[in-house]
Order: sequence, then C-alpha cells, then structure tokens
Amino acid sequence: MQSTHPSSALDPAANSGAALIDQLGTVLYVGAAIIFVAVMALALYGVIARARAINARSWILGGGLAFPIFTLTVLLMYSLAVGNGLNAIGSSNALQLFLECFGIGEARERAPADGVLKVHVIGKQWWWEVRYEQPGREPVVLANEIRMPTHRPVELVLSTTDVIHSFWAPSLAGKVDMIPGRTTRLRLQTSEEGTFRALCAEYCGGQHALMALFVITQSEDDFGAWLARQAQPVTEPRDAFLKQGYDAFFRGECHECHTVRGTPANGVSGPDLTHVGGRRSLAAGTLNNHIGTMAGWIAGAQEVKPGNKMPSSLAYTGVELRALSAWLGSLE
Amino acid sequence: MRHRSIACRSIALTLIWSWLAGCIPGHDYEPRVIGGDPERGRAALARHECGVCHVIPGVPDAVGKVGPALDRYARRSYVAGKFPNEPETLVRWIVDAPAMAPQTAMPAVPMSDKDARDMAAYLYESD
Amino acid sequence: MRPPKELPNPLPRPDGEFERLQAVWEPPRGWRALTQVNNTAVGLWYVGAALLFLVLGGILALIMRTQLVVPGNNLVDYDLYNQLFTMHGSVMMFLFAVPVIEAIGILLLPAMQGARDLPFPRLSAYAFWAYFVGGLVFFTTIFFDLAPDGGWFMYPPLTSYEFSPGLRTDFWLLGIGFIEISAIAGAIEIVVGILRTRPPGMTLDKMPIYLWAMLIVGAMIIFGFPPVILATALLELERAFHWPFFLAERGGDPLLWQHLFWLFGHPDVYIIFLPAAGLVSMMVATMAQTPLVGYRWIVVAMLGTGTISFALWVHHMFATGMPHISLSFFSAASMAVAIPAGLQVFSWIATLWRGNVQRATPTYFLLGFFGVFVLGGLTGVMLAVVPYDWQAHDTYFVVAHLHYVLIGGMLFPVFAGIYYWAPLISGRQLSERMGTWACAIMFIGVNLTFFPMHIAGLLGMPRRVWTYADGYGLEIYNLLSTIGAFIFAAGIGIVLLDLLLHFRPAGKVSTNPWKAGSLEWLPQDNYAIRSIPFVTSRDPLWQHPSLPEEVDAGRHYLPGTVTGGRETIVTSPIDARPQYLLRLPGPSWLPVLAGVGTAVFFLALTVKWMLVAVAGAAVALVSILRWLWQSDVAPSGKLFDVGGGLSLPDYLSGSSSHSWWSVVVLMLVDGSIFACLIFTFFYLWTITLSDFPPESLDLPLLGSSVAAALAWAASVGAMYVAHRQLRPDRTKVVSLALAAALIGVWVAFALSLHALLATNLRPQLHGFASTAYTMLAWQGLHAVLLTLMAGFTLLRLWLEMVDPVRRVVFDNTRIMWYYCAAQGLIALAVMNLPRLAM
Repeated sequence: MQSTHPSSALDPAANSGAALIDQLGTVLYVGAAIIFVAVMALALYGVIARARAINARSWILGGGLAFPIFTLTVLLMYSLAVGNGLNAIGSSNALQLFLECFGIGEARERAPADGVLKVHVIGKQWWWEVRYEQPGREPVVLANEIRMPTHRPVELVLSTTDVIHSFWAPSLAGKVDMIPGRTTRLRLQTSEEGTFRALCAEYCGGQHALMALFVITQSEDDFGAWLARQAQPVTEPRDAFLKQGYDAFFRGECHECHTVRGTPANGVSGPDLTHVGGRRSLAAGTLNNHIGTMAGWIAGAQEVKPGNKMPSSLAYTGVELRALSAWLGSLE
Repeated sequence: MRHRSIACRSIALTLIWSWLAGCIPGHDYEPRVIGGDPERGRAALARHECGVCHVIPGVPDAVGKVGPALDRYARRSYVAGKFPNEPETLVRWIVDAPAMAPQTAMPAVPMSDKDARDMAAYLYESD
Repeated sequence: MRPPKELPNPLPRPDGEFERLQAVWEPPRGWRALTQVNNTAVGLWYVGAALLFLVLGGILALIMRTQLVVPGNNLVDYDLYNQLFTMHGSVMMFLFAVPVIEAIGILLLPAMQGARDLPFPRLSAYAFWAYFVGGLVFFTTIFFDLAPDGGWFMYPPLTSYEFSPGLRTDFWLLGIGFIEISAIAGAIEIVVGILRTRPPGMTLDKMPIYLWAMLIVGAMIIFGFPPVILATALLELERAFHWPFFLAERGGDPLLWQHLFWLFGHPDVYIIFLPAAGLVSMMVATMAQTPLVGYRWIVVAMLGTGTISFALWVHHMFATGMPHISLSFFSAASMAVAIPAGLQVFSWIATLWRGNVQRATPTYFLLGFFGVFVLGGLTGVMLAVVPYDWQAHDTYFVVAHLHYVLIGGMLFPVFAGIYYWAPLISGRQLSERMGTWACAIMFIGVNLTFFPMHIAGLLGMPRRVWTYADGYGLEIYNLLSTIGAFIFAAGIGIVLLDLLLHFRPAGKVSTNPWKAGSLEWLPQDNYAIRSIPFVTSRDPLWQHPSLPEEVDAGRHYLPGTVTGGRETIVTSPIDARPQYLLRLPGPSWLPVLAGVGTAVFFLALTVKWMLVAVAGAAVALVSILRWLWQSDVAPSGKLFDVGGGLSLPDYLSGSSSHSWWSVVVLMLVDGSIFACLIFTFFYLWTITLSDFPPESLDLPLLGSSVAAALAWAASVGAMYVAHRQLRPDRTKVVSLALAAALIGVWVAFALSLHALLATNLRPQLHGFASTAYTMLAWQGLHAVLLTLMAGFTLLRLWLEMVDPVRRVVFDNTRIMWYYCAAQGLIALAVMNLPRLAM
C-alpha cells in the first residue's frame, strides 16, 4: 500500500511525545558526533605521529574515567526528566520499586486525569482491535484504525489475545509491548490534525511485516461526530445490488467470524465490520480501502497475507463478490 | 521525500527488469495506447493496488491470484477472454469491467481515464 | 618471585631428549589425523569451522538484503525470510561468535602461557566435534524448510506449542543444546587452563592481558550460559509436555523467558567483546612497540564490564511497559558499562601515542575497529536512554547498533588477529596488499550497510520484516544497505582468498614479524615450545631478548619428556608456583565419537527418532566413560627432574588437582542452572502472588518432603564415612558406605517424587506444579549422574585403582555428592515454602 502518512520518529507530530524524544535525539546525535570525531582524531594522531612521552594517569583517569562519568551522569539526569515528562507516575515504596525492576506486579492503575480518553487496543495475529468503552452503552469496536481528538491526552490500554505485539506510532510516541496476561499503557497526545501510521514492532510471527494501523487525529467536534456515527448500527440495505451483497455475506458465513452491529452477524474472531467502509485501510494497513482491494482481499486473503486467519473465499460468483464488496464499502 | 524514493525505486526496478527483459525473446507487435504513458501506468497500477488480484511483472507486490496474470499482455488475443485485444477495449475494461461483462468479478475501481490509459500502455509494454 | 639461579640449563642437552619430545607430540597421519587432540590442531579446526559458519551466516544475510533491496519485493516469501533472519542471528551468535572466541582461546592460550597444551585436550576436541557436526546439521534445516522461524530470541508464547507447532522451534531449542554443552566444555578448559597451566613465575599480574580477558569470559560463560540452558529446557518442556512456564493463563509469564534469555543474552555480548578487546590490547602494544598503558586499569575495566554486564539485561525490555522509575536503574547500569569501555579505548589510544606505530594490516584493522566500535558504543549509550529507546527499540536502528558493536567490537579485532597471528601458525605473513584492500573494503562496506539502517529505523522501519511499504522514504536507505552488504562480503572474501593462497600450517615455526613481547612468539612446534621459561615480566621477549634462543635450545624447564608421554607443568592458580606434572592424553577417537554422539542425540531427539537418539546418547556416554577411565593415570610416586633444579611429582589430589578444579567449575555451572530454576519459582510466585499455588491445588506432602531431606542427610553421612575410611584394607567398608550413599540418593528422590505425586499436583496444571516437577526432574538427572559416578568409583575401587593417594576420582564423586545433596535439600525447602505464606 502506498501512502505518505507520517510514520517517522524524525517527523513527529506537533506537541507530541515523539517531538519531545526527537529533541532528546538531536542532543544525542550532536553529542555522539563530537565525541566520535574527537576519539577518532586522537587515535589517528597516535598512529601517525612519532612516539612521545605521555602522562598515562591523566589519559586514563581523565579521558577514560572522569569524562564518561560526567557526561553519562548529566545524560542520565536529562533522560530521566524527559521520561518523567512523557510518563509521569506516582511515588511508591522501595520494595514495590524493587519488584517492578523485575517487571513484577501489575502496572498500577493510574487514575486518569480529567479529560483523558481511554482507548483499548488489542493486538492479534496480525491486526488490531480498537475499542472505545461507552458508559452504559455497547462499546464502539473497530479495527486497524484509531481516531483521537487533538489537544487531549489519550491513554491507550494495550493487551493481546495471542502472542506479544508492540504498538508503535513513530510520529506520535515511543512503543509499548502488548503482553499476554498483562495490560500496558501508552499515552498519546498531539495538537496536530492528521493521519499517522503505526506498526507492530515486536516480531509476532509470519505476517509481522503486514501489521500496521492508522491513527487519525481530528478536532474535538469532528471526533465526537465520528464516535457518534460509529455507535450507530447498520440497517439492511434497500438497494437491490447492495442487498445481494448483504445476503452473500451471510451465505458465505462471514458472520461466523465478523460482527456487523445491527445485523445478525456477531462473530468475534475477526475484525468488527460495522463501519468498515469508512476505514482507511484493509488487512491492517496492508491495502488501501476501495472496492477493488475489498474484492481482492475477500477472494484472495491468503495471497495478500498468507497464513492469516481469513480464508480466501471461493464461494462467490463474480457478481456476488462485487456486490459484497460494494455493500461492505457502503458501511461508512 | 516521496519523489526521491519513487525515482530510486524506479531506477532499481528498471535495472532489474531491463536485465530480465534481455533474457526473454521480444515480441513482434506493440499496440500503442493513445495518450498512455507506460511509466506512469506502472505507478498507477501500484497506486490502485491492482496487484491484489493480478500478477503484474514489474509492479511491487503484484502477486494476486484472484484474477488472471497480466504478463505479456500484448500477446493476448482477447481481453477477459471475450473482447478482441484492442487498446481502447482494454482501457474501457480497466475503467468499468462490469459495464462490459455483467457477470465479471472485477469491480469498477474508481480512477481517472488517464490512469486507465497509462495502465494499458504499461501492460502492452511489459513482458 | 625470582627465577632460580639454576636457569638456564647447561648445554649441551642430553642425547635423544629432543627426539623423544618430538616423538611423543608427533601428530597422527592419514585418517587418524582426525583423532588429534593437541590444541594446535583442534584450535585450528575450531577457528576454521567458525569462519565457515561466518560465511554461511553471511550468505543468509545477503539473501535477506537482496529481498529488501526494493519495497514489495518477492525474491523470498515471508516464511523463508522469517527462517532466514532467525538462522542468521542464531548462526552468527551460537555458531560463529561464541565458538570463534573459544576457538582462538584454545589455539593461542597454551602458546601465550608457555604450556604444551591446555589441561583437558580431549575436552577441547569433544567441544569442537559436538559443535562442528551439530552445527552443520543444524544449518541444513534451512534447506528442508525446517529451520526455526521464531527469531534468535525465541519469545514465547509465539514459540510455544500453540503458535509454533511443528519441528522448527524444536530444532532451535534442542539444536542449541549441543552448542551450550560445547561452550561450557570450552569454558571449563579455558578457565582451568589459565589458572593452572601458566608458566612458573607468571603471577596473575604478569599475565598477558588476553589471559585476563579469557579468564573473565570463562567465568561469564559459567554464569551466563545457565540462564539460557534452563530457559530452553523449560520452553521445550512447555512445547513437548504442555508444562506451563510462559503461559499467562496457567500461572506462567511470557516475560520470564525474556528475563532468562537476556540474563544470558546481554552478558553474551560481552562474552564476545571482551576476548576481542583482549586481542586488541595485545596487538596495540605490539604494533606500537611499547608496553600497554594502564594494564591494571584495563584489568579492572574488564572485571567491571563482566560484572555490570549481568545487571543490564532489562535494557532489552524497556518497552515492556515497566514503570519508568524502575527502568532508570537499568538505564544507569547500561550507561555505566560505557565507562570501562571508555577506559580501554583511552588506554589503547595512549599506547598508540606513546609508541611508534608499525604501519601494517593489523594496525589498519585496529583502526577500523576503533571507528566502527566507537560508533556502535555511542549508539549503545543512546539506546540506554529510556525515552530514546522507546522509539529506537526493535527497529533497524538497533539492527545497525548491534552490527556496529559486534562487527566493530569483534569481527575487526578477529580479522586483525588473523593477520597478526597467521605467521605464528604458517611461518609467514599473509599478503599485506590483500589485507590492506580487504580492510578498506570491509570498512566501507560495513558503514554503507549499517549506517543507513540507523535512519531507516528512525523513519519507521521495524526489525524482522520481510517487506516494507514504499512511500515512507525507506527505499534509498535499503538500497544503500544492500549495496553495502555485498561490498562488505567482498572484503571478507578477499581475506578468505588470502588465507587460501598464503596460509599453510607449518610444523616448526620461528618468527616474530611484529617484534612482539609475549610468549607465543617463542619458536613453536607440535610440542609448543621446547622448554618452559620462568616468567618475570609481562613482556618476557622484550625484557629478555635471548629468551627465544634459550627456550629453543632446551635451557628452561621441561626440555624433554620426563614421564615418557605428553605432559605439562601445573602451577598454583595465583602465584604460579610449579606444583606437579600433568600427564596429558594423546590422540584418540573417543572425543570424536563422544562429540558426534552428543550432536546426534540432540538432533535425533528433535525429529523424534528415538532409537537414533538413544544410540547417539549411548555412543557419547560410553566414549566419555571410557575416556574418563583413562584419565586418572596412576601416580608413579617418583619426583621428576624438569631442569632448573626443579623436581615435580606427577600426581596431586585434593584442591591441588586440575581435575578438582574442573569439577568445581562444573558445579558452578550446575549450581547456576539450579539457581535460575529457583529464580523461576520465586518469579512466578511474585507474579501470581496469592495464587501460587491456586486454591484448587495441594502443596507437596510435608511428611514425604521431610523424609526425603533425612534420606539426603543419611546419604551424605554415608559418603563421609566412605571418605574417612578410604584405606587399602577397608575396601569392603568403603564399598558398603558408597552403596548406602547411593541408596540414600534414590530413596530421597523417590520420597520427593511421592511428595508431589501423592497430591493433585500435575505439571500441566500450573506454573507452581511445573516448576516443582522440574526441580524434581533436575534431582532425578543428578541421581542418575551420581549413580554413574558411584559405579565408576566402585569399579575402580575393586580394581585397586583408588587408594589414599590416587583418590582424584573418589574426591570428584564426593564433592559432587555433597553438591547434589545441598541442591536436593534446597529444592525440597523451596517447593514447601508457599506453605508458610498460607
């Protein structure tokens, strides 16, 4: 899939965690370049120049000990400050901290500050389920796409149902693993409206390379409208061609694995397709979403992404395939 | 960034394919598509992800088995097994296949007429 | 210590002395050449095999780079690609990097320390054969679509039975088994060799710096490999029998694997780097023609590196969602490890400044090492910065970093070493011209390949992807990397060609082309050096220019063979006082059979050819027993005059025996594995807290546990009686006591088993049960080991091959017995501990 949405730690979104890390990076690059040039110059001079008396103690204690200790101490303090800025956490007692050094103990639930939007992201081989819990209502569930408002902190609650994955949106923030039996968290925030690509960064099996998603940041109003629309169920289509596709969906047993809210389809092992037509991509960031790729994906899922759980459907006539693709595409 | 990267990819692909092309005997006739640019056609084929369903030599990731392979298209007698292989027929087919053959599985992927011409030109040029 | 006045020995040497020495060290010819155990042969094969795997692993890398030359390429599919990167990592780490450092050690150490050979030549040969045969078979899995595809780090649950059915992962888990055994065997050889076979006078502070490096690395292998040995065993148990260790839903934890794996994996990086740094220290001093600046600082730095390297494994886990505050400890440790590295770099630079540097290929490779390694070190510091790592982790930035560190920190020094030490073996230098070109091409290649990867990673390219999308700016960097990879390969090709054209192992070598000061540049032959000097400085050849001539004329210790066979001098571990003559074994098929048998056992077990596996194990076991049977040579009771006014016995027992040291080292390995198992138990306990074991499961029976503990105590008591009664007239009492001790072991094992089996605990149910049963299985394995040792000892007792003097076999059995009892008692206590928490 061709696309130019930001997906680079070197091209961070405005006022995001990635922007903070990018600044830290600049300091690191400049520092490393200076040290590298200096060390290489010293080494080359040592080879080229004639023998000379040296003060061994000052070389070793100065260059080998004092200089790195000083530099690294400053760097450590700076990096801790940046880390805390990204991920402020409360204080805790010494034992707890010691245990946490070994990853022991559930990450403590941080009381979300007012206005923090929680989004659950669940890693699966090889796609992402995204859930917005709606108090008192059915959650909004979609796949391979996160939408979030700008100017508001968003906490991703990360988990997995199979193997270890890692959520990484390079232009927005660093990565955090999704680990069976655990819940991890990642905070996203930006003031920039746009579409950003995210990827799975932990090798998770055969199609690890084809596991991406898009994070779309939009204004608070647009986001609210989008969420409201996502909460709407689907109604049976009136158009005859689309109805043909709707029928084909059930005849091909797509509903065994997929949910389309408002219809009898309530399978859970595949992505929720309630508003699939409005999504940016198919097959977890692998294909752009249009009628051609939809049809190709349905009929050739095992060619596009071999080994994934969706079979290449061979059950449809050509017309049915087009109708089904058209109906799914209409679910915006 | 994007222009540079595409240029670089094109150079690499051209090198590879011109080398491969040297291994395959050339064909005798080349139907010309009016207003079609093969190089842009390759980019358009990639952009519209036709490779999801078709094997298309020279287009990255075009390994689909849903539809027929589109290699050596100039040598085909028929488009979609039905219509004599004329450039204008192929262009029409790419733009809106269901209009020509209602039973086809190939959807009408929204695209400009220019894109379709470029694609057709590329298909006729490629081996 | 001062050298004795009697040295050098008077001339002329007695008639026939030299000829007899030559005769006993004469290597066998024809097919029997394979039975050689001498380090000069085995070491050379070992280095050659490691270079072969470098080439094979490199070819895998070239295929991967070709696949990634353009986005959306389909040269290989995802399935093959995943096997390729898994094999590339595994081959380079387990079949090249670790073996090559041990190989160089086995090849060079005896020469550098003036020994005729290392103390256990057959163990080296065994390590080589297990590695070579097993490694080759392991590599061929790539041709049968059976190569592992879970990454060289093998994270479960991806690699457990549910997500990786089939044999691929088993090939990794079991295939790595023989490499681990081989590595440990090599480490025992190297540690005991350095501590006990140094020349008289070479106190610890006079050791060449490379000996320090290898001593520290040997210790690191002893403590660093056990975590991965245990981890692979646990994962194989989980895969084969569904015992949960890493499955969250049944009281396991996937992160347990990561802790164990990186507790090995990070020290492993320094296990690879420190020996190379040791080689660099040797070469820098010689090329600059001045003693190394800051010898003591470098030793301290290497000790520091070795220690700190065990405290920073979590930096591979910064992105696992641990709280930032707890990561900061590991961040600080990861940065701190840069300090000893910096110390060494500045010592080397200071040495270069102080001397007049010879312009030759080794120097050029050393400069290449500086450039590549320092850059890799600097990106390492970046990765130690936690927030930065959250971006860079698991991207091509890390791929770039680790290749800079490993190629810079290890490959360049090793290639410098090839050019530096080749004359020592073949008597003449490699081609300066080809070497210079190779160095330049490799330097360009490595930078062109890996520098762009830093950028590709930051532009959003994760690791381990078989394809990538276009339009994200990754194309140009991948194209450059691919071109660079082929250039780099060409550089390596030139070195190999140079070796092919100009490297011919010669028997007698007398050359010192770089005017070095260390002992290996004394005239060498199959017997190593003609006579063993008394060392009084760190650079004996510089201090004593006539030494080569004197040594070669036989004017120092042990100028011939005094026992009529192969022998070397054993000295005390710290101040290198001569203690006794170690009679070394000669050529034999036994290590070959044992090595091949071991490899066959592990590989056949993988494909579940049980008969073949049993046959392999039987061949290995019988060969090893037969070889051990020959190893405790009867003491002559005489003192042998080795010249220089020194007379030595040919046998010592107790802690003076080199054999005792090897058993102690083995127990340290054993104990480390057991400690990791205990760690596993407590780790899973703290993860599941009150659910350990869950309400529905019982605890081990207290009564049986206590009875088992008493049985262990009784067994130890019986062993103690045997120890006290070991006299020629008390054979019957000793036999009975040994038998009683053995019965005690099995009673203890049976009672421990009963403590678990009589409850509803079954290993498949929960992490608590699986860990408890694993501890039990570990005891069972040791019960079998003790049975073998007891039988071996009893047989020798009855054949009058054990007596109060010749008691090394008995002592080895005895200390192993005490160790196993302690281990059994700890296991019983630990598995009953949750009782206290209830």
